[in-house]
Amino acid sequence: MNKKEVFKLAKGFRGRAKNCIRIARERVEKALQYSYRDRRNKKRDMRSLWIERINAGTRLHGVNYGNFMHGLMTENIQLNRKVLSELSMHEPYSFKALVDVSHNAFPGNKKVVPPKKEGLSILV
Amino acid sequence: MAAAAQSFNGNVKAKLLLLYFRIPVAIQLILYFDSMQKALAGLRRINLEGLRWRVFDAKGQVLGRLASQISTVVQGKDKPTYAPNRDDGDMCIVLNAKDLCVTGRKLTDKFYRWHTGQKQYNLIIIKRDFIHWRIKLASSSKGKTAILKSGIAGSKALEQEILILLPEKSLARVGLYLFCRYVGNLKERSLKDQMAKDPTEVIRKAVLRMLPRNKLRDDRDRKLRIFAGSEHPFHDRPIEPYVMPPRQVREMRPRARRAMIRAQKKAEQQEQGTTHARRGKKREEGDLEAN
Repeated sequence: MNKKEVFKLAKGFRGRAKNCIRIARERVEKALQYSYRDRRNKKRDMRSLWIERINAGTRLHGVNYGNFMHGLMTENIQLNRKVLSELSMHEPYSFKALVDVSHNAFPGNKKVVPPKKEGLSILV
Repeated sequence: MAAAAQSFNGNVKAKLLLLYFRIPVAIQLILYFDSMQKALAGLRRINLEGLRWRVFDAKGQVLGRLASQISTVVQGKDKPTYAPNRDDGDMCIVLNAKDLCVTGRKLTDKFYRWHTGQKQYNLIIIKRDFIHWRIKLASSSKGKTAILKSGIAGSKALEQEILILLPEKSLARVGLYLFCRYVGNLKERSLKDQMAKDPTEVIRKAVLRMLPRNKLRDDRDRKLRIFAGSEHPFHDRPIEPYVMPPRQVREMRPRARRAMIRAQKKAEQQEQGTTHARRGKKREEGDLEAN
């Protein structure tokens, strides 16, 4: 890359990194490396954001994310998390319908009773 | 003052008694008033459009579990429109902070610790048996080192101290020395003392330490209003009480259960009037049990 291209990419950098070629070249290389890595990270971050939003939306209806997804998988509803998060934000009634569908399919584990410990309960 | 008088019964005797007790009540009201005024501060900084005001009642709640719920609400993570880059959490009001419970031995064994005192370094150049130059360096806690120069007329006490510490012979003293002035200290305060001093700090620290450490943390802290009692000055706002999600309480450990049964039996016996001169184990009811 010649200098002109480097300075073009170094717009908005801090201090000497936008003006002096030696420093700018280092910083631009680093910036390009970060952008390569983050193009892959962005997909992960977005998915986790969708999952957080779906979680919040379902908990408003009393169901948590895990049980909700399990119910959807059992019913073979193949909506992806992106669409589900959009529904939970902008289409609350449709989302409630989905939550009901999932809840009917998988109501979640009943309250698990811990196993009684035999020996000590005799003393009590 | 008038409010306090009205809140009591319309009994004449009660009103007369109130006159005698007015002064301590006044002080109490003033103390509550102080925290009320503090609670109203900083509201202008928050953009209150569309945010709800949720009220948490901390009476009988376990400290950490309550703080976890508060932190999710304050971050706005219970809304499907959550975005990590903007702060959309609801305003949280916590009441009855002094009635908080903790399990186990945390009342006596949980400590809040902090470090005080910062080391101050003195760089000293000694020439011919007296202090020629003294350069004061502060510890780089804030990222900058402040360098002050003081000539021979520095503080006499410090000079004397330093000259005593140096080796005796005059030729050996010449040179550059670095002296450290203060010793940093570790201070600690137990949960019991902190509750006596300021119960709101307990919840505030707990919630603050559960929030993510980013630039939104201070704004989220501003959304938290905690009160030791059950009075709060936000009655004119649209308030919603927060219902804690259902929780599975662990069954009591066998030893604790046996102790509780013994205490119950003793209480029953005392009620029935059988007086035994024995002293049983002391138990504080609300504070140490997991229920």
